[in-house]
Amino acid sequence: MSSRVVVTGAGVISSIGAGADDFERGLYAGTTGVGPSQLFGEGATTAEVRDFAPQNWLGPKGLRVLDRSARLVCVSSHMALCEAGLSQADAAEGDPGLGLICGTMFGSLHSITSFDWSGLTEGPNLVNPMAFPNTVINSPAGHAAIKHKLRGVNSTICAGLASGLYAMHYAAEFLRFGRAKALLAGGVEELCEESFLGFRKMGAASASGSIRPFAADRDGSVLGDGSALWMLETEDAACARGLRPVLEVGGFGSAHDAHSTSAFDVRADGATSAIRQALAASEIGPEQIACIISGASGSRAGDLMEARALRNVFGDLLGGIPVSAPKAAFGEGLGVSGAFCALAGGLALHRQSAPPTAGYKESEFGLRLSAEAQPFQGKHVLINAFGCDGNNAALVLNLRT
Amino acid sequence: MKRVAITGLGLITPIGAGRKVFWERLLAGTSGIATVASFDSSVFPVHLGAEVKEFDPKQFVRRGKLEEMGRGSQLAIAAARMSIEDSGIEISSYDSGRVGVSMGTTSGEPRLVERYNDVRKAEGLEAIPGDFLPQYPCNVIPSNIAVEFGLHGPCMMIPTACAAGNYAIGYGYDLIRTGRADLMLAGGADAFSRITYQGFSRLGAIAPERCQPFDKNRKGMVPGEGAAVLILEPLEDARARGAKIYAEVLGYGVSCDSHHMTAAHPKGDGAIRAMAMALEGSKKTTADVDYISAHGTGTPTNDRVESIAVRTLFGDRAGKVPMSSIKSMLGHTMGAASAIEAVACSLALDTGVIPPTVNYETPDPECDLDYVPNYARTTNPRVVLNNAYAFGGNNASLCLARYEA
Repeated sequence: MSSRVVVTGAGVISSIGAGADDFERGLYAGTTGVGPSQLFGEGATTAEVRDFAPQNWLGPKGLRVLDRSARLVCVSSHMALCEAGLSQADAAEGDPGLGLICGTMFGSLHSITSFDWSGLTEGPNLVNPMAFPNTVINSPAGHAAIKHKLRGVNSTICAGLASGLYAMHYAAEFLRFGRAKALLAGGVEELCEESFLGFRKMGAASASGSIRPFAADRDGSVLGDGSALWMLETEDAACARGLRPVLEVGGFGSAHDAHSTSAFDVRADGATSAIRQALAASEIGPEQIACIISGASGSRAGDLMEARALRNVFGDLLGGIPVSAPKAAFGEGLGVSGAFCALAGGLALHRQSAPPTAGYKESEFGLRLSAEAQPFQGKHVLINAFGCDGNNAALVLNLRT
Repeated sequence: MKRVAITGLGLITPIGAGRKVFWERLLAGTSGIATVASFDSSVFPVHLGAEVKEFDPKQFVRRGKLEEMGRGSQLAIAAARMSIEDSGIEISSYDSGRVGVSMGTTSGEPRLVERYNDVRKAEGLEAIPGDFLPQYPCNVIPSNIAVEFGLHGPCMMIPTACAAGNYAIGYGYDLIRTGRADLMLAGGADAFSRITYQGFSRLGAIAPERCQPFDKNRKGMVPGEGAAVLILEPLEDARARGAKIYAEVLGYGVSCDSHHMTAAHPKGDGAIRAMAMALEGSKKTTADVDYISAHGTGTPTNDRVESIAVRTLFGDRAGKVPMSSIKSMLGHTMGAASAIEAVACSLALDTGVIPPTVNYETPDPECDLDYVPNYARTTNPRVVLNNAYAFGGNNASLCLARYEA
């Protein structure tokens, strides 16, 4: 069994587009999903999925009981299954080798808060029991399993902003161990009033309502939401199905700062270590990275930390490597952001072109960012996902030729 | 692939804290179930809970600030500290980048949600404090452990509800055997909350008088809380440092029913596949299994389905393999449950004694296995399976074995 794990499908729903093609167009057009909120109204700014109509993909049945996260992940898994040719819509029974690994940071926060609020305001004996299953953190993955007949491993992975990358690595390991045939892997995060309010209260929201990664005048992030999943398989399994996948999940690195659960460690030790581990696991040196997909989202300390980590690892090479900070487009998606960035990295490798950083004007750190797409030649892209909760992860993607 | 040893056991449960107290009381059939104390249960039709009593987090949380973390994190840190002490390791002697944390939970920090809503009701949304969100991320429990003990390795929460402990221990095992970590703190934690209680109450799942897994007259489960953390390390390292080895992790299996969010598959499809996958990965067969730690919540359906699943997979041998549910004493400690049960399995392998299912009186024709009724038994098991099932149709079985030098 080959230990190579490849991408055979993608599903994504975000503020810049629904479906891999739409997402790619939005990303490379340099547009941003940051704008007026439909969820919160009153001049609120978000990068949420707007005009979300899950019935367009899932049909009208069975949607009522699903919360926003579950709807998002049901849609993205539908897309990825179809693109990979593994939809089981017509099968009587699902394949036990097909599963889902879903990253998230705040999970069911809104469903659990609403369930408790309902008890507080209406009385605990009048609460709708059908709402209880949605309070558990793994409920979106469970709903997607039922909807799409996914009988294999069904794990939810929480590692802060690194959740999406952790989930992809976890899935890749399960495939290498032969515990599954094909796994959807990525993340989901829903915007809700609790996270929106909490983000503002903790001082992380951009006062100006824009994301300016690495800019000297950056003033915080704008929350986004959505879901992004890849279908992952071993290269042997994919080739046996007649596919010729070109995108491989390479080395992964992770490190916790063990410094704080709410503040970036600007010394960047953890972030530096995560990148170095990912390169080492890929058996490549920093000079072989042709493009960097940054997780920067306009945080004063977070962007500084990532810039330092990049400088630590790449040194003088850094000026020559195109960097993209796509959260300027799809917002700070928290637990899904790593998966969004991974999809952006996959597109970059395919197109040999780093996506534009929407609205980019200048960087404080001498990084090669641009408001335009930046062509490159190379086989390896680095994806970063670092968070103020202390989790840091990095993933290398390889182009198979 | 490296072999993986369990060399430290730390836990805090409704029947007591620490390996020694826990095991003595468990074998004696002690119950941790009582009338709910942490909130007024008079509004509910049921009143039983399995809470951790007399917990003083200050004894365990030294580096982190208590006022900056929820009860789930406090319980988890307590279990982690006891486990580290039990293992005899000096964390500072390790490369901290190669020491990781893998935890499971159902609800994470639900009491923060309660506080959010209490503040919202009393003072309005603008009064929500700034520290609410940073204390809530689903991964905050393992992050708090990492901060407390200065651990820089892989750090994640696998919140696969009531099977989460097994998922987390399983992933910790994966990280050790593949050489990605030198030491893993793996387990589960959950804090008692009115939210969970309200949910199970509305589902009509809570037992009114006592928890009687597999008994014909069983009437439900009892929500509980707790935490357990196991120290996992390469067997060769454990041997080299002369460590006490409680058990060896042989493998695990996971599956999804893909059937219903709360109800188990009627034929135990996913449960059977999880056990089979665990045995296959462990290079064992049903003939090797000497004891099963049941999920055994005490609800009519769950216990019947688990019995059917074991009967289907084990065939004629099913009734000969003792299978007990310690939830009869501990209640259902949610995401901590399978981690606490993994501790019990480790101790059963180490001491040769298997814990009982208490409150077992009337056999149920639909549950026709040996449930180790009411009294602990010395059987000297060599290979055990630890079953755990969860909302979302998640199933996880962990296979552990006695270590023989």
